[in-house]
Amino acid sequence: MAFVQIRELHKSYWLHGKRIDVLRGLSLDIERGELVSLVGASGSGKSTFLHVLGTLDAPVSGTMEVDGVDVLGLGDADLARFRNRTVGFVFQSHYLLPEFTALENVAIPALVQRMERSAALRRARGLLERVGLASRVDHRPGELSGGEAQRVALARALVLEPTLLLADEPTGNLDPVTGEGIHQVLRDVNRDLGITAVVVTHNEALARSMPRRLRLTGGRVEPA
Amino acid sequence: MDEPLALGVAAPDRPHAPWVLRGVGGVLVLGGVVLAAVELSRNGAWGPALSRLALGAFGWGPLVGAVTGILEARRAAAPGPVLWLLGPAAAAWLVGWALVALGSMRGSGSAPVVTEGTAGALSGPLAGWRDFHLSTLAAYAVGILGAELVLVLVQTALASASRGVGWGPPAAFGVALTAGAAVAFVGGFVGAARSRKLSAPEATIAVLYLGVPLPALLSILPAVPVLDARLGPRLREVIYVANLLGRPEMGYWLVFSLLVLALTLGILTGFVANASGRLDVRTGFELFVARRHVHVFRPRLLLGALVVLLLGIIPPLIVLGILRAADAAVERTRIRELGRRDPLAAARAVHDAQERSQSPTAMMTALSVGGVGVGVMALIIVLSVMSGFEVDLQKKILGTNAHVVVLKYGDPQAGMPEYPEVMKKVAGVPGVIGQTPFLLGQVMVSSEANVDGAIIKGVDPETAGQVTDLPRNVLPGGDIRWLAHPEDIPVRTRYKLDKPPADDVIQAPKNAPAAPPLPGILLGRELASSLRVLVGDPVTVVSPLGGGMGPSGPIPRSKAFRVAGIFYTGMFEYDSKFVYVGLQAAESFFGIPGATGVELKVKDVDDARRIASTVLNALEGYPYRTKDWGEMNRNLFSALRLEKLVMGIILSIIVVVAAGLIVATVTMLVLEKRKEISVLKALGVPQGGIVKIFLAEGLQIGLAGGLLGLFSGLAWCLFIEKVGLRLDPEVYYIPSLPVKVEPLQTALTVLIAILVTYLASIFPALRASRVEPVEGLKGE
Repeated sequence: MAFVQIRELHKSYWLHGKRIDVLRGLSLDIERGELVSLVGASGSGKSTFLHVLGTLDAPVSGTMEVDGVDVLGLGDADLARFRNRTVGFVFQSHYLLPEFTALENVAIPALVQRMERSAALRRARGLLERVGLASRVDHRPGELSGGEAQRVALARALVLEPTLLLADEPTGNLDPVTGEGIHQVLRDVNRDLGITAVVVTHNEALARSMPRRLRLTGGRVEPA
Repeated sequence: MDEPLALGVAAPDRPHAPWVLRGVGGVLVLGGVVLAAVELSRNGAWGPALSRLALGAFGWGPLVGAVTGILEARRAAAPGPVLWLLGPAAAAWLVGWALVALGSMRGSGSAPVVTEGTAGALSGPLAGWRDFHLSTLAAYAVGILGAELVLVLVQTALASASRGVGWGPPAAFGVALTAGAAVAFVGGFVGAARSRKLSAPEATIAVLYLGVPLPALLSILPAVPVLDARLGPRLREVIYVANLLGRPEMGYWLVFSLLVLALTLGILTGFVANASGRLDVRTGFELFVARRHVHVFRPRLLLGALVVLLLGIIPPLIVLGILRAADAAVERTRIRELGRRDPLAAARAVHDAQERSQSPTAMMTALSVGGVGVGVMALIIVLSVMSGFEVDLQKKILGTNAHVVVLKYGDPQAGMPEYPEVMKKVAGVPGVIGQTPFLLGQVMVSSEANVDGAIIKGVDPETAGQVTDLPRNVLPGGDIRWLAHPEDIPVRTRYKLDKPPADDVIQAPKNAPAAPPLPGILLGRELASSLRVLVGDPVTVVSPLGGGMGPSGPIPRSKAFRVAGIFYTGMFEYDSKFVYVGLQAAESFFGIPGATGVELKVKDVDDARRIASTVLNALEGYPYRTKDWGEMNRNLFSALRLEKLVMGIILSIIVVVAAGLIVATVTMLVLEKRKEISVLKALGVPQGGIVKIFLAEGLQIGLAGGLLGLFSGLAWCLFIEKVGLRLDPEVYYIPSLPVKVEPLQTALTVLIAILVTYLASIFPALRASRVEPVEGLKGE
């Protein structure tokens, strides 16, 4: 069975009383360890799909299993644990917490899991070194550049070694050179840690470099 | 966005029946209210009902206040009409609500029509939607009702068991209240843990339908003789404790409110600890986040708030303004100079200055801390001063009066000649630590200068000190023992010779070798100064009766005494109205054998009432009777306690306002942190965790404010005690404001203030937990 198994996913919004169907019967299988790129026109529902896949948003109907677990049937507590342990998010903006240093931001998922403060910080430091930010550990997000902040966000997504990494245009706000650094880290963790990754992107070059390429149109996915 | 349109569900045409049901139900409910109102005015009970309403406005009292008002009016209006309208009113009220509920259920219960899409297992949040939890209702009901029953039972058991043992009803009440609150807390905790939500409907039903009846019953008990006769004796311990307040129904509702508070706390704690699906009381991470959000424990903020609390608002503001202005001027000049030499350093300085300017939320936080602090401080100071007055008054009253007196029914002229036997019997009663006989009468006291009315009390100089402070209150120069040995009284030589006053001379034989010394008398300081006498001066005591019948009516009886001492109790009433003579002198003066009664001192003044009844049992009742000091001064003390309670309630309004500030502050925080909440949820923080974070933020404010209030309140009390605020002794008969900091009362004040702030942050914290994860992640 596939690692991610999605069947007949429907998702609709209501805007000023009008229904907008974003996902219309989307079905998809993703194997363990795959590195998938997802492209599509603006407003085609890429972000919505990623949010549903990460259980941040609930679909109207359909089924979705991740690693054999029916995640749509989970209650709040189990959902929270699923997001904490199984999924790692990287968003277009870094969404770091402004009151905490880079190191603390990276450590937060581990702290949520009730890991010891010192152990969590040690682990976070290791990840920051891995993304090349060892000299920025005590800086607040406001004191980091866009590329640095995004790398911190990536480190935060990876701190608990999730099995599923979801990245929503992680380099959308960055220049090509900085973006390439992020891409490299993504490819590395996929190769080294076997993390299954879904990357939503507008960057055709990045999309082409991924082993599996998908396109979202008309509320469904098709190979691109 | 709120339209009831849903994918695959067309809004069906709802049948009319539910609306008819709801309408009829609503009319019935209104009708019930109108009927009750009619009944009220028919009995002319609006006045008392409204006055009760006003008194009970702070608690759950209004409803019961109205009912007791009616009942009181009925009792006043002799055999008035039976309140037959109230029954139908209550029935209409209940049936009406039932119909409304039925209508609502019918209205929403129409089956949806599936048009498109696939039906599957319930997903996401829908899976957790369930409306009513009967087990939760049961737990809440057991919580509140059980708490009340436990309180009543424990109070009854402990107070009865302690009969004569030595620890009185108030101590038993402390234990009972703690036990009751614990039961309520556990009930709330278990209920909320079962349903994993706060379950407000269940809590409301439990409190209104199962919690209210018992205090309501207790409140109306005195107004319904039938019930009173049946239940009064069983509940007497509870009623007794409530009566200590002066207004028992206020006591019932106050205790009820405390139990509801305990239940609410239990519910909240149960929810927070279990919302994530399993018991999770760890808070390390949540506190970590909360402390970064709200910087309450900053030295500058705490110091500033403390200075404001101690010195008032205006002076620190002026100082702050001066300091700020000076700082700003110096800083700008410095940065300008820096800019010439090192532009980079100057830019850094400008950046730092901007960083330092506070956000509105930080301002609100400081204000909330100050608000809670002011409330707690005011409560502590006022309650301590009132306790000071009470203690002062009690000390003075108990210094002069006995704790318990034993009296005898019948002719006062018959006296109690058998008082030695009475004393022998009483001596065996546990808790009695001193006794002395006394004889009471009313007389006029005259000196050469003036005449004044007084209460004369014959005392036994040997044993009086066991019971009252009289021997210790005698000012230097006098001595109570001289009442028994009048020959020792130094005779003042203001008169040429130690010549007895004229009327004594008439009775004494002229050629007597030496007149016997005049018996001694003790006068209060005020009386002595009004009579202008000092120790050693003679005074004449006149009783209008007792001299036999003369040709023109009763002849007053009079006798000369010599001032053996002047006493000062500090109570104007006592110092101006009381005189003391030896017991034998009083006996012979009034012609009463023995004494009026026996005064007792008990070990624990709060237990005087119970010991009094034990004493009465030892004396086998009639013809003897006992009175305790509380009974003798009941009006004074219950007025004082009631005043204290009302002051406490009024001042709590400050705390409530401060709690409102906290609600506003935490709500602003939640709005400010919407994005962060979404991110935290995406990182795997469950709803309960978010609630914990924002509760912790509110609690931090409450904690800081409560501790600041405690500190500054105690500082003020210390100031009042050591430095003193002068009072006009002519008016208050006390030189400076008395202060008595009662540790329990103070701790309770701070604790309740902190609990209230904790409760105040529930609402915003719940709001925060309902922020959807995608909400904050959109729109960028």
